Amino acid sequence: MNRKKWIGNIVKYALYALVATFFIWAIANSYFDYIFTQSGTFLVLLRQHVVLVLVSSILAILVAVPAGVLITRPKFKKAEWLVSNVANLGQTIPSLAVLALMISILGIGFKSAVFALFIYSILPIFRNTVAGIDSIDKNMIDAAKGMGMKPHQILFRVELPNSAYSILAGIRTAVVLNIGTAALAYVVGAGGLGVWIFTGINLFDNGFLISGAIPVTLLAILADYILRKIEYIVVPKGSRRIEKA
Amino acid sequence: MNLLKLIPLLITAVILSACSGIGVTGKEVTVGGKNFTEQYLLSEMTAFLLVEEGFKVNQMNNLGSSVVRSALENGQVDMMWEYTGTALITYMGEDSIADPEAAFEKVKENDIKNDIHWMNMSDVNNTYALAMRSEQSEELGIKSISDLSDYINANPGELTMAADAEFANRSDGLPGVEDTYGFEFGSDQVRQMDLGLTQRTLNNEQVDVSVAFETDATIRNYDLVVLEDDKRFFPPYRAAVAINQEVFEKYPEIEEITARLADSLNSDIMRELNYLVDIEGQSVSVVAYDWLVENDFLEEE
Repeated sequence: MNRKKWIGNIVKYALYALVATFFIWAIANSYFDYIFTQSGTFLVLLRQHVVLVLVSSILAILVAVPAGVLITRPKFKKAEWLVSNVANLGQTIPSLAVLALMISILGIGFKSAVFALFIYSILPIFRNTVAGIDSIDKNMIDAAKGMGMKPHQILFRVELPNSAYSILAGIRTAVVLNIGTAALAYVVGAGGLGVWIFTGINLFDNGFLISGAIPVTLLAILADYILRKIEYIVVPKGSRRIEKA
Repeated sequence: MNLLKLIPLLITAVILSACSGIGVTGKEVTVGGKNFTEQYLLSEMTAFLLVEEGFKVNQMNNLGSSVVRSALENGQVDMMWEYTGTALITYMGEDSIADPEAAFEKVKENDIKNDIHWMNMSDVNNTYALAMRSEQSEELGIKSISDLSDYINANPGELTMAADAEFANRSDGLPGVEDTYGFEFGSDQVRQMDLGLTQRTLNNEQVDVSVAFETDATIRNYDLVVLEDDKRFFPPYRAAVAINQEVFEKYPEIEEITARLADSLNSDIMRELNYLVDIEGQSVSVVAYDWLVENDFLEEE
């Protein structure tokens, strides 16, 4: 046990050192300069990136969670494989192809990018919602029924709170992936920090590349952190302990 | 879009390398190319001609300018069609030179120390330009970049522009134009996207100005006007062969093989060939091959 902890610490500090070295190297080469010398552009790109992710993620949550709930109702249970497969299909089309296809329908820019990101975010949320609700102990639902709860009461008081951890885990996966994928929005002219990443690739300029890529990474870490906090608040104490065990 | 265009090219590259592999001659070159139609065509034509002369040809296409340039410098790419203006301004950081011959000589001289040999300058002038829809240009009375500058200074934030990441950030691109003519679009007004989309966006009235090239086929197709560069900011971008010095010494015959191609091509022909690919949707390989056969570079098989 002690040795394990020791090795764990070494790995942890080695990683910290690696990250610190990277930042020192990047700052020494003034690779972050564009963020300060072109801060106007940077803020525009950052705003575009955040808006793309927010709009597409919220739309995906609004569609995928109710769809997951609906499909676990006894009436629709039989259609589950169909809906799951459709959601799967969305994920299997390469994101670049979705973007390119959408141009002909939604035009160039924001709408196409949001739609592609939305399609991409649905599956993880939908899957986790279904899995979370399906994993609830049947005895618990029987008990709720025995107490005289109506179906909607069972849903809101038993099923959703107990699957909250799983649903939020799905949302977290979707949002973090979404932030990275949104860098492709440049291709269809929807802006975002991907613009600087592609500029860096085309001009072979590490300054642009890193000024674009690091904020995207930090954004993903920040989003993950915020969602973890939300999870801590939303998930009831009882099921939190179960999940962690 | 560029990805779709790439598929036939990849297939041909595979076939080409397979074919030449049979008659093992040991002569092998890697031809590089950038990420737009004209470059695919030039690279493909060169590959056909070299294969005809018994070379095994590898192609490395669809690269950004600076990427393919580094590949040429470090030997991953042996030769490519490069533009005098791009080399002079972007790679060498020099001021632009308006006379094409002088620009070519300057580039050739500067690149000796990089072990890159320049030869066979063609009449293909792929210079940058700014385009607008002819209707809107008439309505707003914008005929030249100076007019555009005046209009933007009088109505800031009104017009938007479509550009690829390269043009939007290169010193001989938009930042240079803005400096020379004294205006600024503002970061929110410049929408950056894949190069293949900029003119489509302009045509769809989603932006007001777009980056364009003199050899661009879409200008005619979409009824666009090219704004006059009245301060002569954009220098000549003549296509010429840039080749690794060592490779050139090893296979000096490449100069002769590509010389006829360089002599025969010009901006009008290039625009026509670009038109066949971009607008009529023909494959790069077919267009390149047909043109070479029609002009007696190759025997039809």
